[in-house]
Order: sequence, then structure tokens, then C-alpha cells
Amino acid sequence: MAKSNNDFFIDFEKLSRNRTILLVGRNWALIFLIFMLILFSFLGKNFFSLNNFNNILLGVSSLLLLAAGETFVIISGGIDLSIGFVMGFVCISSSIIMRDLNAAGYSSIISIMTGSLVGLLLGLIPGFINGFFVAKLRVPPFIATLGMWGIANGLAWRFCEGFPIGFLPLQVRDIGNAYLAYFSPKKGYSFLMKPELTERGDILSLVKIIPISILLITFILVIFAFILSRTRFGQHTYAIGGKVDAAIRAGINVPLHLIKIYIISSFFAAAAGVLLVFKLNMGVHTQYTSSYELFAIAAVVIGGASLTGGKGTIWGTLIGVLLIGTLNNGLMMMGLPIFYRYIATGCILIIAILIDQFFPELVYRE
Amino acid sequence: MKKFIIVLLLICLVLSFASTVCAAKLRFAFMPGIADPFYFTMEKGAKAKAEELGVELIIGEYPKAWGPEYQVPILKALAARGDIDLLFTAPTSTEALIPVLKEIHDSGIPVITVDTYLGDGDYTKPSNYNFPLAYIGTDNFLGGQVVAGQLALLLGGKGKVFLENTNPDVSSVMGRELGFRAGIKMFPDMELVGVEYCLDVQETAVAQVNAVLQKHPDLAGVFGVNVFSAQGAYQAVVTAGLEGAVKIATWDATEILIEALKRGEVDLILAQMPAEMGALCVEWGVKHLTKGAEIPKKVIPGFFVFTQENVNDPEAQKYIYK
Repeated sequence: MAKSNNDFFIDFEKLSRNRTILLVGRNWALIFLIFMLILFSFLGKNFFSLNNFNNILLGVSSLLLLAAGETFVIISGGIDLSIGFVMGFVCISSSIIMRDLNAAGYSSIISIMTGSLVGLLLGLIPGFINGFFVAKLRVPPFIATLGMWGIANGLAWRFCEGFPIGFLPLQVRDIGNAYLAYFSPKKGYSFLMKPELTERGDILSLVKIIPISILLITFILVIFAFILSRTRFGQHTYAIGGKVDAAIRAGINVPLHLIKIYIISSFFAAAAGVLLVFKLNMGVHTQYTSSYELFAIAAVVIGGASLTGGKGTIWGTLIGVLLIGTLNNGLMMMGLPIFYRYIATGCILIIAILIDQFFPELVYRE
Repeated sequence: MKKFIIVLLLICLVLSFASTVCAAKLRFAFMPGIADPFYFTMEKGAKAKAEELGVELIIGEYPKAWGPEYQVPILKALAARGDIDLLFTAPTSTEALIPVLKEIHDSGIPVITVDTYLGDGDYTKPSNYNFPLAYIGTDNFLGGQVVAGQLALLLGGKGKVFLENTNPDVSSVMGRELGFRAGIKMFPDMELVGVEYCLDVQETAVAQVNAVLQKHPDLAGVFGVNVFSAQGAYQAVVTAGLEGAVKIATWDATEILIEALKRGEVDLILAQMPAEMGALCVEWGVKHLTKGAEIPKKVIPGFFVFTQENVNDPEAQKYIYK
């Protein structure tokens, strides 16, 4: 704080020269996450346990994928509002394919593989269209992707007519909810296959280690984090978001690059949709799926990205998603009603924006 | 030319006479709320009853989505036929449908609301929405109580239970919640440990039930108030390996939920009786129009409870929504 009496405002420039504050400002989300983990461990019954951490991760798994894709778009200075409904659209499409192939007598493996692959491929189309409109026809990303938001919603709704798509092969669920390893005090270690337990006490004491779906997501995230931070593709993404004119002058093919970025975002949404089928053994799409993209954007911003573009990281987004997930789960374990949890998430988002606003040089990527 | 006009008029006269003779057969119209198995089943029940009583039944086009913006145009077109003796419909809004149905009522077509109602559903007291002959449908509060009682029966009258709800702003599911709360209170050894709202997002329901299982490892039962919350609830319980140990109760006998019941992943399904509702509309409508019978303002057809014991009974199959 500046000493002078008539200086009402905080002297941020001076603050940013302090190394401790610099460190805190840059990593506030991580620090806040650790603080929350400690706080909830004391306040929430059974919060601090491997099982609950699995629950937190599984609870945000779709959001994590959506937010990772959104990170690319936001760094490039755009926004993608369509991802929540693209997820729903892919979820419905691939589950319908799995159900119908299975009903037509194809083996479970073939139905599942075809459904997943076609779902992932279908997910590339909205991204290409979004990118084409934004890059080639100069439609503002907000409008172009809002259009796709409506189209994907309408299509998904048309296909499922508001109903869950069930009667998929049960293996879908077994794969989607498998863990890498299990340890039961009674039966010892087993890999991938859940041990058969009948006593409730034994079931509760079963230790489940690393969900397969989370392992897969981590793998995808590592690849894309590498692309973003270590490759020319990543550098160009930052360059476009930082200053488009400079990027063009530097010889970057901006339209092509933007199309690729929207395809990445849409691909992540498609992956989230397929993941959802595996998790639920069902295709579901309701109008409330639309809040997913907003939480994804919130997570990206909490993770240190700026809506004006040019900064943000996959690592930061991961922290942002975990922050939202932990906050939700922790407050739920404390028994706080849902209304307050929305308020809490809102407050965190505002803090993130404030930090982005007042400490630009703190969170700026070097 | 004059002759031609006279002949034409005569033909018209004969035709209109003929049509009034034909009109001795009653003609009812049914306007469903949305294209879904629940209303399809209702139509089947109404059709069967109409055939039995010799009533001609006209079915309005099924709206693709829920809401007055989809339902009202079809409803208006249906009423514009001008040859309908009675209309029974599921209004998709407690408010927006009041003027529309009032207009139809004022044009001389009596209205019965089925499954959903206008205003607060109480047509006995003075209001601007008390014109329908009756409300024929489920009492959600009563249904919630029935679920609580049946779940208590499964659990031997003791244990912790949890309620997974969907939207805190929808009257039907809130009615179920209130009924369930009241029902559980009647059992001193049962405790409702929490209520969550998943906003019809099944993934959220899974996460919420997971958290409750973590917080209360001795949880004995979950009531999921609609398909999405129930599917999320049983998905979470199955993943935890606790199917059978944590009883899942739910509402609406869709084929997916019945299948889960057969697999032992769901334990209790409260089915409304859509076919009965449709049949009651036709039956009471005929009684009213031919014998001038006074219809009770509220007719509740009751429920059917599916459990693992009776799910394969031939008698029970007709209550599955198809």
C-alpha cells in the first residue's frame, strides 16, 4: 500500500516488485486449492480419502476435457460456446450407434468401437464449421459458436427426443468405470478387474487406485500441454491471441491456424461426450448440459487465462477445474445446500477476474 | 341459376342433417403434452376405453418438446375443427394455457386437464382457472409418500435415506420431495440425510450420490425423483459395488429403469397409470355428456409399485411405459 494519504489506490507496480507477492499472485489458484483441501479435510466428514479424491476427479472429468479444449480457443483470443451441446450431441450420436449396432447383432466390441470412433469424428465437424466462420468469414467467435450451440442442441434433441438412450452393451460401463488397480484387505491386489465382494464392509474397504478414464485424460492433456508450450503450433496460438496483426506480419497463416484451434476444441468436446457414454452406460442430453461450457470457461479463466487472449496454460486450466470440483465436493460434504455452492463458485470466478485485471504483469506468461 | 342454388341449398340441408345424425356418436379430442412413452401409453388407454364406449377419439399431433410455444398452435388447430364434444389435455404450463383453454371452454367444448393442471390444480374454489370439468392425474405429494412407505418396507423401517431431486423450480418433482419428506417422518428410525438437485444432468447426479455414499457409508436407500436423477443414483451405487445394499427407489416405469430393476440395480419403481388416466377421461366425459353426471373435480387413478418380485408378472407388464 502506498504511504501517501491522497493515494487511494493500491500501488500494484510496487507490489509486483515484491517476489513473495509475485509468487502468490501467479499461483493463487493452486494456493487456494491446497488451502481448500486442508480446510475441507478438517470440516467435511470423510473428505480426506482416496475414494473421495477419485470422486472429485471423476466428477469433473468431462469438464476437464471441455476446459482443456477451451484453453486453446481462449488463448487465441476467441471463445467457444458450443462445446457443452457438442458434447451432448456426440454423447447421443455415439450411444445411438452403439445401441443399434448391438441390437442388430454385432458383437459388443465392434458396436462400442464404431460408436466411439464415429462419435469422435462427428465432433470434428462443428469445430471445422466454427473455425471456418470465425477465420474465413470473420464472424465474431461469440456469435459463430452460439449458432453452433443452437444447431448441436437441436440435432441432439431431435435424435433423442429428450430421452436417455439406453440398452447399450453393459461392457461400456465396465470399461468406463474401471480402475487401474484394486486392493482388498481380503483378496489382495487385482488389476483392471474389480474383485467379487459381497460383504458391505469389504466393499467399503476396497481401495481403488487411479480410474482408467482419468489416466486416459491425463495422457491426452500431457500431449496437448506439450503442443501448447513446446511446439511452434503453441507459440503461434499465443501470438495470435497476443496481437493478430503482428502474427500476420510474422507470416503465420492465421485463418488456417484458427480453424485448427476450433477443431481441437470441438474434438475435446467430442471426447467428453464419448467419455460420458462410457461413464453412464447411456446417452443423455438435456437443456442443462448448456451450463457446461460456462463452467469450462470459468475454469480456464481461474487457471490464469485472459478472455482478451494471449495467455493461459493447460496446467492452469487443470488447477481451475480442480478448484471448481473440490469446492463443489467439499461444500457438499460439509452439507451446504446447492444454492451456496453456486454462490461460492461465482465468488471464486470474480476473484480470478480481479487478479487478471489488477495484476496483468503478474500472471503474464513469460 | 336460381334452380341450381336451390338444389345446392337442399343438398347442404340434407348433408347437414346427415352430419347431425352421425354426430350422435361422441367425438373427443386428446391433446398430449409431449411425444413420450408416458403420453403414448395414455393414448392407448383412452383409445381402448373409447372403442368400448363407442366414442370417436381424435389425437392431436404430439408436440416434439415441452412448452406452450409447441403445444398451443396444435391445440388451437385442433379446437378449430369445430366438431369436438370434449377435449382432454395435459397443459404444458400452469399459467400460459389458462386463456387458451378458457377460449375453447367458452366456445362450448368442455375441458378436462389430465396429468398436469392449471393454476394450483384446485378447481373447486373460485379462480380464473376453475373452468375445467376435472383434473385427472397423479398427486405428486401422495406419490412421494407412497415411495417413502415402500422404501421403508424394503428397509425394515430403519436406516439413512437420501433424495436426489432435479430442479427446485418444477412443481411436480417438488411435490414428490415434500411427500417423501413427510412420509419418511412417519418412521422414527429413518433419517433423510440430504437432498441434492442435479438439474437433470445425470453426470451431476452421479457425483452427488458418490459424495453422499462417501459421507454416509451406512446409507441404506436413495429416492431418485425422475429418470435422470434415478439413473445417476443407481449408476453411482453400482460403480461403488453396493447394488442391492443401497436400495434405489424411483418414479416412472420407463423401459430403461425396468431393465435396471430386472438386473437388480434398481429396487423399487413407482409407476403412474397413464393408461388409466386416459381411460378415466373418456369414461367420465361420456358420463357427463350423456347422463349429465357431475365429475369430481379431482380424480387420482393411483399408482403401481414395481419391485423385483413382481416385475416379471404378466399382470404388471401393462404398467410399463411403451
